[in-house]
Amino acid sequence: MGRQRFAARNQNSTSFRTTEKTLGPVSNTIMLIVLACLLGLLYLTQVTKTNALGYQISEMEAEHTSLKTEHDELQVASARLQALERVKNSDIAKQLVSVAPSGTINQ
Amino acid sequence: MQPPDKLLFTPVQRVRVWYFLLLSICAVFIVRLFYLQVIKHDYYRSAALTSQLKQYEIPAERGIIEVQNGKETVPIVLNEMRYTLFADPKIIKDPTRAAQLIHDAIGGDVDDYEEKMKLDTRYSVLAKKLTKQQNENISKLEIPGVLTADAPQRTYPQGTLAAQLLGFVDDEGRGKYGLEQALNDQLKGRNGQLKAITDARGVPLAANNENVLKEPEHGEKIILTIDLGMQQQLEDILKDGVEHAQSQSGGAIIMDVRTGEIKAMANYPTYSPAEFFKVDGKDIGVFENKVVSAPLEVGSIMKPLTTAAALDQGAVNRNSSFFDKGYFKIDGATITNVEESGGSGQRTLNDILQQSLNTGATWLLMQMGGGEINEQARTAWHDYMVNHYRLGRSTGIEQGYEGAGTIPDPNEGYGLNIQFANSAFGQGMTATPLQMVAAIGSVVNGGTYYRPHLVEKIITADGREIIKKPEVLRSEVVSSEVGKQLKEIMEYTFGKNYRAYGGMPKLRDEFSVGGKTGTAEIPNPEGGYYTDRYNGMFMGFVGGNEVEYAIVVRVDAPKIAGYAGTKAAGPIFVSIVNTLIDNFGVTPKK
Repeated sequence: MGRQRFAARNQNSTSFRTTEKTLGPVSNTIMLIVLACLLGLLYLTQVTKTNALGYQISEMEAEHTSLKTEHDELQVASARLQALERVKNSDIAKQLVSVAPSGTINQ
Repeated sequence: MQPPDKLLFTPVQRVRVWYFLLLSICAVFIVRLFYLQVIKHDYYRSAALTSQLKQYEIPAERGIIEVQNGKETVPIVLNEMRYTLFADPKIIKDPTRAAQLIHDAIGGDVDDYEEKMKLDTRYSVLAKKLTKQQNENISKLEIPGVLTADAPQRTYPQGTLAAQLLGFVDDEGRGKYGLEQALNDQLKGRNGQLKAITDARGVPLAANNENVLKEPEHGEKIILTIDLGMQQQLEDILKDGVEHAQSQSGGAIIMDVRTGEIKAMANYPTYSPAEFFKVDGKDIGVFENKVVSAPLEVGSIMKPLTTAAALDQGAVNRNSSFFDKGYFKIDGATITNVEESGGSGQRTLNDILQQSLNTGATWLLMQMGGGEINEQARTAWHDYMVNHYRLGRSTGIEQGYEGAGTIPDPNEGYGLNIQFANSAFGQGMTATPLQMVAAIGSVVNGGTYYRPHLVEKIITADGREIIKKPEVLRSEVVSSEVGKQLKEIMEYTFGKNYRAYGGMPKLRDEFSVGGKTGTAEIPNPEGGYYTDRYNGMFMGFVGGNEVEYAIVVRVDAPKIAGYAGTKAAGPIFVSIVNTLIDNFGVTPKK
């Protein structure tokens, strides 16, 4: 500031430099922009990562649904295989011998 | 050194100009952004959401149903994924070829497929309920405009077993008839919802705090009191019995009198609930659980209840008897007995049930009125029917379309005395077999009326177990002493008559078996009663020292020779009793 003022007057003068180093407004602005960009980048990275996880979750959910469907199918198949009608008509059941109820056998 | 030419702008001014330009550009951006993001916020937001925000309904799973099988439970109704095949006829270029390909993949009618793919619509259902394999076959074809959609449906591993009791679920997911209808709200659950910003493929993007996920509340799992083996045996016995009696239909119930649990409940003929849509329109009566929904004049199985009411009121005692002339004249009408009742003579309470005396039931009613049928008798008998035995009102069992039956009013109407005399032997009033089994159960168990019920336990979607305890609707239906006396009279009746039913050559002394037939007249819609057809009924019980099961059998208009109650319903009752004793562990007397 002081230096420029003296320069404007086109006079030889002693250079007065402050020993304390401070950032000017341009630097501050640039730094703020860089920081904002970094933050934006960080945000985007996280969002991308989260969305990637979302895809993984989505795939796992699809797999879960598929396994659940398979489980349900197996449960149905198991129940059908154990159905009374099927057991009654099985080869083993057909080989069984009928026995009259004990309480009704004799007159 | 010459000073430089004077510049147009000083450096400071130049900087200011640049600042101004920069600020102007920024201002333009800010204004434009303000316009887009603030003023036009709603417009752009909705435009963006239209393409990005997807809303899905997450269907709730319908609760499954299980029944008892020894110490474990087994599923009787499950869910299975099935697929609906549909087409967008506007997209299909060659319907003939597409129809042939579909036919080769899943079978079916080629012409029907082709016809449906030529319709002037964007959605044409080609086939329903495809299996997983069929769905995969279709997917492999990759025909543009032909797609499948999954649709869960009910499946019944035990086939037609307990069909009317269970009911079915229609294409809109609504429970129809039976348990599915009565417990529809509990079984169906609540659909969930997912609102999310998605990518182009429709996959939800996780990094969006506006996503809404409402998990579905799955339907409750219902565990029934029904015993799988007993139900199967009952259905087999009923089918054989109804066919043997040359009847078109019938029903039967087995109830545990100690809790009100229905252990088996059957109707014949039956149907397959998985293929309910195949039942012809004129046959939809087959969907009904008639032992619950169709009240009828029950005939002489009412007499045990009349006897118990008269005993409980003190109008008669165990040793009472009367001289039976063979008829009673009531208000100009004559009440008679059936031909085989042995003419006139002194009759005890045992005789009234064993010989099924209409005059005996009328005499009992007269005793309630102090010797004649009057308002006192009518009111007292009405009170027993409605308030003690809970006839004329629904039991509240977990079934759709439960029938309440009708009981005549003691003070309003015409011919009240004869109407009430008729009701003493089960005519001129109606009740369902379910009401009758609950009523007789409440007498022979010592006087406690339990609500007849089918649900033993409910398991909620979050795993909570809700056990349904037996619900006492009335205690002291009759005194325990009267309960014992009636049990004894019914044992006597069965002991004297069981040979006529066949199927039980020897009375099983270590068990207590009692029962009463009913051969009920059938009202003719044109007035009066049919003279050539009767319904066969049987109401009884089996147990050891204590009664365990009450049973009611109904056979509609059998053509077999003899009394319908004795020759059609009696043998079915005997078979049920034998089965319960031999296979289901009725505790013998000690």
